[in-house]
Amino acid sequence: MVKFLKLYEKIGIFILIVLAGIFLAIASPNFLKTDTILNIITQGTYGVIVSFGMVLAITSGGFDLSVDALVGLTSVFLSVLIPDIGIPGAIIVSLIISAFVGFLNGVIITKFGVNPLITTLSMATIVRGASLLIADGKQIPISVARFTVIGTGKLLGIPNPIWIMLVLFIIFYLLLYQSSLGRHISAVGSNENAARISGLNVTFVKIMVYVLVSLTASINGVIRTSQAMIGIPSMAPGFTLTVITITILGGTSLAGGRGNLIGAVFAGIFISMIYYGLNLVKVQYFYQLLSVGLVLLFALFVDGLRKRYLEAAKIKGIKV
Amino acid sequence: MDDYRLRQRKQIFGVYWGNFGLPLIFVILVAVFSITNPNFATSYNILNNLSFASYVGIAAIGMTFVIMTGNFDISIGSMLALVAVLGSSFAPKIGGVAGVISTLLISCFLGFINGIFVTKLRIPAFITTLGMLFVFRALAFIYTNNAPVYISDRFWLYLGNGKLFGIVPFPVLLMGICYVIAYLLLRKSPVGRYIIAVGTNSKAAALSGINVDNIKILVFTLLGLFVGISAVVNSANLGSANPGLMGQNYEFQVITAVVLGGTALSGGNGSLGGALVAALIITFLDNGLGLLQVNSYWQQVATGLVMIFAVSLNKLKFYLLGQGEF
Amino acid sequence: MKRYVKITVIAALCLAMVITLSFIGCKKEEAEEGGMQVKTFENAGDITIGFSVWTMEFTFFQNVEKGVKDACEDLGFKYVMIDQNSDATKMVQDLNSFVGQGVSGIVVTPVDPGAIGPAVENARMAGIPVVCADIGKSGPVNALMISNNFKGGELAAEFLASKINDTSKPLGLGNLLPQWTYARQRGEGFLSKALELGYNVAANIIVQNPSAEGGYDTMQQILSAVPDVAGVYFTSGREAVGAAQAIQAAGKDIWSVGYNGDPEEFQAIKDGVLDATILQEPYYIGYRSVEILKEILLDGKFYENVEVPVDVKLITPENIDDIAAEILEKTGNSAFPAE
Repeated sequence: MVKFLKLYEKIGIFILIVLAGIFLAIASPNFLKTDTILNIITQGTYGVIVSFGMVLAITSGGFDLSVDALVGLTSVFLSVLIPDIGIPGAIIVSLIISAFVGFLNGVIITKFGVNPLITTLSMATIVRGASLLIADGKQIPISVARFTVIGTGKLLGIPNPIWIMLVLFIIFYLLLYQSSLGRHISAVGSNENAARISGLNVTFVKIMVYVLVSLTASINGVIRTSQAMIGIPSMAPGFTLTVITITILGGTSLAGGRGNLIGAVFAGIFISMIYYGLNLVKVQYFYQLLSVGLVLLFALFVDGLRKRYLEAAKIKGIKV
Repeated sequence: MDDYRLRQRKQIFGVYWGNFGLPLIFVILVAVFSITNPNFATSYNILNNLSFASYVGIAAIGMTFVIMTGNFDISIGSMLALVAVLGSSFAPKIGGVAGVISTLLISCFLGFINGIFVTKLRIPAFITTLGMLFVFRALAFIYTNNAPVYISDRFWLYLGNGKLFGIVPFPVLLMGICYVIAYLLLRKSPVGRYIIAVGTNSKAAALSGINVDNIKILVFTLLGLFVGISAVVNSANLGSANPGLMGQNYEFQVITAVVLGGTALSGGNGSLGGALVAALIITFLDNGLGLLQVNSYWQQVATGLVMIFAVSLNKLKFYLLGQGEF
Repeated sequence: MKRYVKITVIAALCLAMVITLSFIGCKKEEAEEGGMQVKTFENAGDITIGFSVWTMEFTFFQNVEKGVKDACEDLGFKYVMIDQNSDATKMVQDLNSFVGQGVSGIVVTPVDPGAIGPAVENARMAGIPVVCADIGKSGPVNALMISNNFKGGELAAEFLASKINDTSKPLGLGNLLPQWTYARQRGEGFLSKALELGYNVAANIIVQNPSAEGGYDTMQQILSAVPDVAGVYFTSGREAVGAAQAIQAAGKDIWSVGYNGDPEEFQAIKDGVLDATILQEPYYIGYRSVEILKEILLDGKFYENVEVPVDVKLITPENIDDIAAEILEKTGNSAFPAE
């Protein structure tokens, strides 16, 4: 039992994916097709990419609500800059600008001691206002056709966003679990004071975290903009909530100190499956919302039971 | 010796700043807007703003309690919409007074459910309420089939639009009464002490015989009650209850007010007065910038900057009191 | 403990008493019957028009605003504008605030048409006429300018039918979020006309993320749900542009129609990405709203619950240049995105 529960912690969401897959395969003849499955995964990756950053933020005991605004900012900068300085230059500049916003978030949170929630929420308002000012409130179409390859192209038959997600996954995996920065992030998230006393540069660690979140948001912005081929200052409304849902469902503890990247990947795919799949079987939008909520509650209820069982097992002296 | 006196003065100033810093910002804000626009400081406009400050202000009371116990509720926007559509659809059948009471009872019940999930099922508050955010909104949609519920009951409408003695908008009075009751509850009754104890150190509170679970359920239920009051007032202001549009971003507006008011998200003691002043700042800032005809994109930038500025001033208190590095 | 229970009960009773007394006290001022007493003016210079807009983030509303502003300039009115920031509560606060500022007439493009009732009543009690510029209304207003959204949907269905010309082929529909009730007509017009013409709308999906990339996602879902879909209609412009990109990316040959006539749609039609769109006239809606207020305030004309339908047009590659020229002449704005 304990072994099973240990395994469940790692791949619990995966079980949900399989169950949902079986249900959809029976309910819709169009589900078990390469295109459909690749699309579902691709639509999951958008949230997953940003949730990599969010996992770091929550692991460090923080939070970032400015990611949707950064997607819009990136989109505006790309559409403005691509005609002038070309695609690679525009992407680099947008990433740098987003990273700078993340840096500002980090500085305000660490140096001015403002709560991360309020900082990033306010920053989201500021960034959205700034994007609108830069674009003068307009949508700016992008006419350089090559740009669309990033989001819509395929390599070896697999859409590019999935590749980008895989690369980012490897990077963030190494960063969180293998690098000293990752250990420091966990340490700061578990006990900030202890981390500070033991000589960690907490300020640096936190600023790095917010820079990384902003970068992931910006990368998502690049992908989305290249698909839509248009710069929209108010892009990705409500996206932050999706990212948070994925991160939490993926098993990252809100208490900080314990991040779960692989869980986030599965959670993102699962959420995408719910919306996409329920659209395939023509379930009304209202019931889609309801199922996301119920699944969230159910999955985390089961997770709570698992934890309680393990605690009880520990007390009884069963080796955990 | 000089150093010691300097530190003492700093600390005295810090205490004052902690108590009066936020109100000072509010006063400055009002003064600036009054000077720059003659239409701002009219009694009509001030009362109108106060009336709409109750939208965030009343729920901020409940949220302060919840955050004081170290919890969190992001489902209140959806909850607002759900109880508003339920209550206002009952009102024509059972009468306005009964409709309002049923709204309050339902919202208490929804808060109670949140509390049960958090305590008895041990799902962290953020996750419970994240799930409920989807569930409540979906139920509001499903119940109404996405049609707004129009409110024609005069009693219900009066609670949001009526004016006492023809001058004071009723929501202002309601908000005042809510704050007085909440203040008495928090500072003069044992329940308030229990809440603070649970938030400061829930294990110690449990050891000293406080039923931590019950206190947590109580604060979530109270939050439900205040959201219910807010739902009645808000739907009366709007003249209808819309399942999709009501309470959008509400949770973050309210949490912003509470945190701006000086309550720490980590729990412990909180400030009701701070939450009230913060709710006023948010509402007056919106109105003042609008009256000044600031470009609406710049308005967003300005609002964000003022928020960060105001919260970072809170940090000044801790610095002056020597409780943290700057 | 008993003491607190007692205090609570007493407080609750006091509250109930205050509510009842004040409610009874106000009961005598019943709403007056039939229309309103408009405060009229002699000079155009004394008139201030207040405009409350849904949000300045969308091109459509920016154009309504431009129309209102230009009309005020042309007629010599003063002009104040407040952005609702897509928040119904802020909208009501703003409308009440207009009354306090003493504006002479109000134009409102409401985020929630169901939520303007009490605020509009408040303004009209103060003698301020109210015109709704599109979206909708609840309760009495002086006039409502409204785009013929149902016809727009019908035009889209007719266009797709004329191009596909084979009733055995299924169609797809990408709808806006359910809370935006005004846009529902756009979908309903399409569905009823498609049914009438004998077409099957096999996919009717809500664009969960109301932006271009959301349209892209929804198009992928439509393609999965109905692989042989021959034509799609999206009830908003940005979503349609995103959907057209998804069609291109999938390498399919599917007819696509949008809604609004925003610059990016013009560009997309010109580039051959999008096949057609439905043109609304936001500038005219804004401009005409102020003209109506002028007729009420200066000329003393009587308007009560007058609904002014505003026509919509189909834009295709064939007529796009003519329409763009027409728009440029009427509004002084290019229909295409600025360079």
